[in-house]
Amino acid sequence: MAEKFRVEGLNKSYGSNVIVDDLNLEMDEGEFLVLLGPSGCGKTTTLRCLAGLETPESGLIDFKGRAVFHSDRRINVPAHKRDIGMVFQSYALWPNMTVRKNIAYPLKVRKMRDAIDKGRVEEAAEMVHCGHLLDRYPAQLSGGQQQRIAVARGLAARPDLVLFDEPLSNLDARLRDQVRTEIHRLHESLGFGAVFVTHDQSEAFALGDRLAIMRAGKMEQVDTPQRVFDNPGTEYVAEFIGMSNRLELHRSAQGWRTKSGVDLDLRRDVPDVEGVVARIWPDDVELYRDADSVPTGMLALKAELLSSEFGGRHYDVVVAAGPEEFRLRANSALHGAWLRQAEEGEPVVIALRPETMQIYPLGAATPVVAGAA
Amino acid sequence: MTTTETKPATKTATRARPRLRADSATWRGRLGYAALILVLGYLIVVPLYKLQSLAFSDGAAGYEAQYGRPDIGETLRTTFALALGSLVIAMVLGTILAFATSRLPRRMGFLRIVPLLPIVMPSVANIVGWAFLLSPGPGYLNALLRHLPWWSGSDTGPINVYSTTWIIIITGFGLTSFVYLFVSAGMQNIGSEHLEAAEISGSSTIGVFFKVVLPLLRPSLVYGGGVALLLGLGQFTGPLLLGQNEGVKVLTTEMYRRVSESPTNFAAAAAAGSPLVIFGLLVIFAQRYLLGNQTRFVTHGGKSFAPTHGRSAWAAVVVAVYGLVALVLPLIGLIIVSLSPYWSADLSWDLFTLDNYRALFDTPGIVESVVTSVVTSLAAVAICVPLGLGVAQLIVRRRDLPILRLLGDVITALPLGIPAVIFGVGFLLTYTQGPFILYGTKTIIVLVYVVLMVPFATRMQLTALVSMGNTYQEASAVSGAGPLETAFRVTLPMLKPAVLSSVALMFILLTHEFAASIMVRSATTQVMGTLLYDHWTNGSYPLVGAMAILMSVVTGAGVVIAMMIGGRNVLDNL
Repeated sequence: MAEKFRVEGLNKSYGSNVIVDDLNLEMDEGEFLVLLGPSGCGKTTTLRCLAGLETPESGLIDFKGRAVFHSDRRINVPAHKRDIGMVFQSYALWPNMTVRKNIAYPLKVRKMRDAIDKGRVEEAAEMVHCGHLLDRYPAQLSGGQQQRIAVARGLAARPDLVLFDEPLSNLDARLRDQVRTEIHRLHESLGFGAVFVTHDQSEAFALGDRLAIMRAGKMEQVDTPQRVFDNPGTEYVAEFIGMSNRLELHRSAQGWRTKSGVDLDLRRDVPDVEGVVARIWPDDVELYRDADSVPTGMLALKAELLSSEFGGRHYDVVVAAGPEEFRLRANSALHGAWLRQAEEGEPVVIALRPETMQIYPLGAATPVVAGAA
Repeated sequence: MTTTETKPATKTATRARPRLRADSATWRGRLGYAALILVLGYLIVVPLYKLQSLAFSDGAAGYEAQYGRPDIGETLRTTFALALGSLVIAMVLGTILAFATSRLPRRMGFLRIVPLLPIVMPSVANIVGWAFLLSPGPGYLNALLRHLPWWSGSDTGPINVYSTTWIIIITGFGLTSFVYLFVSAGMQNIGSEHLEAAEISGSSTIGVFFKVVLPLLRPSLVYGGGVALLLGLGQFTGPLLLGQNEGVKVLTTEMYRRVSESPTNFAAAAAAGSPLVIFGLLVIFAQRYLLGNQTRFVTHGGKSFAPTHGRSAWAAVVVAVYGLVALVLPLIGLIIVSLSPYWSADLSWDLFTLDNYRALFDTPGIVESVVTSVVTSLAAVAICVPLGLGVAQLIVRRRDLPILRLLGDVITALPLGIPAVIFGVGFLLTYTQGPFILYGTKTIIVLVYVVLMVPFATRMQLTALVSMGNTYQEASAVSGAGPLETAFRVTLPMLKPAVLSSVALMFILLTHEFAASIMVRSATTQVMGTLLYDHWTNGSYPLVGAMAILMSVVTGAGVVIAMMIGGRNVLDNL
């Protein structure tokens, strides 16, 4: 209990705009927790409340048995006394200090002279492969180098908790992967607790011990990446992590029926509801040119081609099956030849496997926020 | 949701410590800002309040004394004529200069500094210089003009610098630099694409100016015009030094007369200043209402106003002519008088002497006044920088303290809208009675200087803070640095260019300060400007000339030092 970081009943709003809504969260020492969600879901605000950069209206934030915020007991430990490290989206390296001074800063202001003397600054720079840059100024560094230095600065004082505020989103794709790998490696070797905010699900899967998917200021699902991937808790989570295909089903005499009137057997127990939504990964949708080639056991839906984009080994294909659109990945070797010449509106057939579908009750009050594709 | 939770007693005890620390830190912050606003409020608002309550006391006797005079209509007319006339001159010249400096040929780039130089020259020096040139009798320029056939045969004229018209013209020249500051800043925000597009569409340089530049500049013109109008209404130096000869009166000189006559009539002086206070308050509140949140007006990026085409020689000529008229001519007048044994229209080169400069060091009080000016200015600047940073920090970063923010914003704007003369009189009234009797000390001069400069210190650091963003300070906080440590290790070093610019500007303005100084000085505690005025009224003109040159040199030295510390672009940031 004492070894955990806890957030209970956290509330934060700007005016009438509720950003964080009665949020609860718990993480173990040394755990890497990723806060994932679309922009505006309150993840950055939650992180800033943890850092002490925002003051919540109410709730409790407890770092391993030390309350750093407790509205009832009027505790609000300021950011500089929370013993944390933080890495910002904009790097926030102070331009008037060299790399060495930037990294040494958390040690210096915490009066950790002996750590500086023992070479902690050089060590931290070395950890992110920037040992040769110590005497440069931030303006002389590339974006990737700057963010590595910012990571080194966040870790230099060896805080128990390191907060990452979308640290990779200002980097281009290649650098993003490199720095991501470095952060992962550093966490493995140093074992700091981390809260990492991102809207990119691949970052979240790669880094997190657990993911916390947020929606409108609340936790939608908190679980390991594998379990989130295998079993998204809600339709919102399923869509956000990339199950972009949505198929609405209603009870019929034969079992379930699509909006376009095709019957199917879901082959599983479904709670007592009139309608459900199936969420399907693009990879689990197969493309055929006619219904006869669809293997038995799969649900075949007539569709027409909307677009196809070449992506190397695959084509990204969008089709319309009745009122619903489906995204899928078609193997270039199998389908490239005809897809290259195919025109919009060309009739096709898509096939779905009921076992790969995630089924959610069709709720009237579940507006789905558009997530990252 | 955790209210009902009960904890073992030992745990509560160990957790009590962070609570105390945290709460006291939060409260320290709030109390700090509250104390800051309280101090500023006391300094700035109390003198104004005392003046008004005095003016209204005794059945508003002050108002009756001031506004019951038969010549009050004339005084008000002159005041507004001075404000509007000098405004028009300053707006036209300032805008033309700003456009011209943006189009200087590359080799003439150094002329960019010229429109700012008149700010470096003290206004008392400038005005005295003009008097030496354009006084109807012995004015050198007048004497020169009388050699022209159509003005020959007269002993006086053709120009009378003591007339209302010429006071307006000279005041307008002085205000031009301020309008130039605003307009050229506004011009820098106009993307050069706009101009290039107009040129490619076939507009001439003049066409671009009237059809593109002027319309885009409207916000800066309105803002700069507002400031120039306030400054024009509060003009004191020109009317006092030049207007006495022919009895030209404005409200500010009336205030001075009321305070310096015997017995002193503070109530009437306060009443005389009221229209200026009211107008100043109107402008401040209108500005707050129109501009709203300052942060919305910070823009970044984009190509700045740096036209590669259309650079031309005419621009250099315009700037050079302005420099000649606004700076070189009055300086020549001062130099000639300061080198002569007496001031007369007949120049006799062989009488030129350095005696007046030697007299600077022999005349009691002159060296002392230089020291007093420099020391009080530096002290005020040293106080203003942290005060300004504190208020700027409050306005930009503490959205959680809305009332203190608003107070800080409005209080620090007051000295910009309300003329320095009024603060001078207010300070004289406030600090010649208890609880703090400071009259005759340097402290009262420092305090009034602090009040006059707080707006500049605040605004300049505020702009810099806004463009710096929050993240650098947040990064420092999460690294473990407290607010003061963050201020000294991160914020101030990063604001260094802006701070140095504001220091340079404040030093320049304060070593020139005359309007408030003349009210709070005493016979034994004088600054350069007030002592110069005494010698001017005594008629020791050659000594006045030498003193004016000395004043300019002291300010110039300050600017050079600021440039040496802060780099050459210290003045560019103005």
